[in-house]
Amino acid sequence: MRALLLFTVISLVLPAQPFAETQGFLKGYCVACHQGAKPSGGFNAAKLTTLQTMMEEPRKWSRMLARVRDNEMPPKGAPTPSMEKREAFTAYVEETMKTAACADGIAPRPALLRRLNRAEYSSTVRDLLNIHINAGRGLPADGAGGEGFDNAAETLFLSPMHAEKYLDAAREALAYGSKDPRSRARFLIADPNEKMTAAEAGRKVLEAFLPRAFRRPATVAELDQYYALFANAYKRSQSYEPSILHALQGVLISPQFLFRVEETNSGTGPRLLDDYALAVRLSYFLWGTMPDEPLFKLAAEGKLKDETIWTEQTVRMLKDARTREFAEQFVEQWLNTPELGRDIKPDAKLFPAYYDAEIQSGIRCEPILFFQELLTSNLSLLNLIDSSFTIMSNKLARHYGIKPAKPLRQQPVVVELPPDSHRGGVLGMAAVLAVSSYPNRTSPVLRGKWILEALLGTPPPPPPPNVPTLPEHAGDAPQTLRERLTQHRANPACAVCHNRIDPLGFGLENYDVLGLWRTEDAGKPIDAKGELPDGTRFDGPVEMKQILMQQKDLLVRNLTAKLLGYALGRGLTLEDHCSVDRIAETVKRENYSAHSLILEIARSVPFRYQTGTSVNIPVIPPAAKLNSRN
Amino acid sequence: MARFSITRRTMLHGTGAVIGLPWMEAMAAPKGADKPPVRMAAMYMPNGVREDMWTPDGEKRDFRLSPTLTPLADLQDQLLVLTNLWNPGSVGGDGHYVKLSGWLTCTTVTKTLGVDVSCNGVSMDQLAVQKSGRQTPIASLELGISPVTTGVDKNVGYTRVYGSHIAWAGPASPLARELNPQLAFERLFRAGNGQAGGTKDEILLLDRVLEDAKQLRQKLGGGDRQRLEEYLSVVRSLEDRLKRAASPERSKWKPRAKIDAAAKPVANPKDYAEHVRLMFDIIALAFQSDSTRVATFLFGNEVSNQNFSFVEGVSGAHHSLSHHENKAESLRQYQLINKWHIEQYGYLLRKLRDMKEGESSVLDNSMILFGAGIRDGNKHDPHNLPVVVAGKAGGRLASGQHLSYEKDTPLANLYVSMLDAFGTPVERFADSTGRLPGVLA
Repeated sequence: MRALLLFTVISLVLPAQPFAETQGFLKGYCVACHQGAKPSGGFNAAKLTTLQTMMEEPRKWSRMLARVRDNEMPPKGAPTPSMEKREAFTAYVEETMKTAACADGIAPRPALLRRLNRAEYSSTVRDLLNIHINAGRGLPADGAGGEGFDNAAETLFLSPMHAEKYLDAAREALAYGSKDPRSRARFLIADPNEKMTAAEAGRKVLEAFLPRAFRRPATVAELDQYYALFANAYKRSQSYEPSILHALQGVLISPQFLFRVEETNSGTGPRLLDDYALAVRLSYFLWGTMPDEPLFKLAAEGKLKDETIWTEQTVRMLKDARTREFAEQFVEQWLNTPELGRDIKPDAKLFPAYYDAEIQSGIRCEPILFFQELLTSNLSLLNLIDSSFTIMSNKLARHYGIKPAKPLRQQPVVVELPPDSHRGGVLGMAAVLAVSSYPNRTSPVLRGKWILEALLGTPPPPPPPNVPTLPEHAGDAPQTLRERLTQHRANPACAVCHNRIDPLGFGLENYDVLGLWRTEDAGKPIDAKGELPDGTRFDGPVEMKQILMQQKDLLVRNLTAKLLGYALGRGLTLEDHCSVDRIAETVKRENYSAHSLILEIARSVPFRYQTGTSVNIPVIPPAAKLNSRN
Repeated sequence: MARFSITRRTMLHGTGAVIGLPWMEAMAAPKGADKPPVRMAAMYMPNGVREDMWTPDGEKRDFRLSPTLTPLADLQDQLLVLTNLWNPGSVGGDGHYVKLSGWLTCTTVTKTLGVDVSCNGVSMDQLAVQKSGRQTPIASLELGISPVTTGVDKNVGYTRVYGSHIAWAGPASPLARELNPQLAFERLFRAGNGQAGGTKDEILLLDRVLEDAKQLRQKLGGGDRQRLEEYLSVVRSLEDRLKRAASPERSKWKPRAKIDAAAKPVANPKDYAEHVRLMFDIIALAFQSDSTRVATFLFGNEVSNQNFSFVEGVSGAHHSLSHHENKAESLRQYQLINKWHIEQYGYLLRKLRDMKEGESSVLDNSMILFGAGIRDGNKHDPHNLPVVVAGKAGGRLASGQHLSYEKDTPLANLYVSMLDAFGTPVERFADSTGRLPGVLA
């Protein structure tokens, strides 16, 4: 098998370059400006010319790494290294720093305080009150950080608007729940009557509610405080229900409810999280909501630290329909499909099918339900690259031109594709194909970039400063898009990246914006041939997927990193990447089973442990070890 | 029946009657005693402008609007068109995120996928809010059309949070935007209606939260405490607002309009153009009713690929057309998109002009900034930015001019002058080097 240049991925390349070359790179391209008493940008690269500094100043090296990798440095007008030199430099620095970080074993991060994001808030209120309205619908959307998910602690900001919205949302949700007998049975579990005073009823409601809302046992003091809210309101109004709802509204705007709180480990070393914190982590990971009764029960019994029980619970939860929320949150953000219908809206005149409600929802749900099927049925993750089935409603199947063996309905179901189908895997899904297109036409560049970035986790850098952006638009030029792109790849500065990007996108040209199969476009036959930088050729999506299948470990590693970032709700550190490598290895040994990936993440050190706060996390290995390697 | 059973929604649906602003009624200010307050808004357009169709001909008062600015012809005496301003803080980094997030801060935002998000400053609008004190029910309104874009951009190494926020209350406090016109309206209505919703009860709840947080704080480590403080500060600001809403000690200004519950807009506008206009209606209403004096608005997130084929003569997406490569057809469509934005801006200006405040109009008492973080979308260049300020800020702005400055005059200098006009003067703002001559009357 030929090695594909295309996939010479930074994070998998072992440091082949001795430090001397890195040193040469710095001297040749950085130090001229970044030295002396007043280095450019306040950044002194002249002080970073030994291997030792890489271990002692990881932040500075990381900063430099990002600037070089993203083509921001050297700046316009300065001598510029070739792409090969750049990549050799970044690969060496990244790998050396990671190896150093992993040398001492995997250390977890400190406990976290994290606001529930909008989706988590809605699901949690829903389960707490057993209501069926979206309580968080008025909250502002959360931005993404870290690995690209909106549950990342670092980007869960708060604005003054949030306080109002939380107050309003709690009032509305409680008012709604108080009118529904099923909801009342969940949270208004006592009413004053001949046998029970209002005071007794109020206390009973709060005793049951507080631990569920705070996701841990409530202290006597906490109960008393919320009881006081109730009692004062009752004193004023002599009306039970408004008073208890008032107290419950207070619970729902408490930081103990709105934030996931993990008790700080003030010790010196890492420790396993407590049982309630474990239950909360697992539950928000796999269901996007608060723990259910069985999890709470096991936490109360102190059993979640037991690995067998932990594994059993993980599997139980994976098989539950509530993984829908997880699948939706994770897959959509991973594949970037939430932008479909927002920033990317297929043109209504050219693609009216998108505006059919059933087709639109079918397109949106396909990747979500597909991923959920991998989870619940414990299928191979390689189905993401190519599969013999997909999940469709009747209209979506018709849209794709697929005639299923059995008639379909409006509800999407698993459908076996015909044996000669080109459609399997995420690359045959309309949501993916549309979100990597323009509203009015397909774009091989956008699609190729999507494959490299989302699927393989090897995003190409932006164009270097001196290179004009690649002209690719529906202009009046007489050439075809392929001709124009070919012409621009003649410029070596463009070619180095576009030789990787464009062929992959051309492989999908048989799919129009909405994923319909086409053999010609505007009267001209579709040419879906591609040639990768190493000369490997393919024609069309089926052959291209065979090539991608050879890169399955790359996809699995990328998926693992994304999923770990999602599970932890934060960006990954260098040390976390050591966990990612180990997990990906295990998944490979387990034949890429979906459960093995989730189980390995749930069992991993960063997921179950927290570090002590009284020492820094060791990231610097003994110098001797490093020196011996070089 | 308990007041808890009356949701805000049922109340709004209830009578459809005009409901007054209670503290204002209590005030009964003497007629004509007070000057209308100055309001300020900043409207951001992503993806830059077609250069050769932007800059007006002529200077000072003797100028002819450029093709892109012609939709503002009837408002020319209200305009300040400013040429050769730049934003040096946003020169480096990537071509979009740094430009948008640094537009009102005039700083260089920290390059990050999330973990240390910082604009390294405060935006000009929020500085005005902080310095003016809270005189209105809502400190400031942040509005937009599209939610923050999904994901992080590993291609350039920035979280997309930076592509969606121009208002920063502090280095790590990008302000969330309201996107739903109906919810924005309800917020105005509610803020202006101190008697509804059991304000006193809510204050009690917020006291409880603050108490809870105090206990929680003792359990947390340093970084976590900061997160908690964020929540505390937003809770305190709400409590503060509710308390002030419940008492009649308020601004001296008695607005000429109240918010009519029947004017509630739809929650789901039928298309982008309607959505923009409904948000502008909200800004106009907020200013007219003195619900707030500061607003910011994003036409779209940076790198937006909004489909503009609803504009006659356009058949593509915004960002891709902005990379015109000097091809005639792309340039033509790019300019039409720019012009469409100016038309919407004109809609807001006319709406404000038609809202009378005694002898003057709300527009006369406002300054409405329109601009972008880059000039030519093809070059991602923050030199000679497109900038217009409309309205006279109560006579403090020397409107009706095209002012062309020395090349590379800091945009921050304009902000210093605008802060003067707003009544919240500062000596310096970010990288300012002085005031912008000719702007103030």
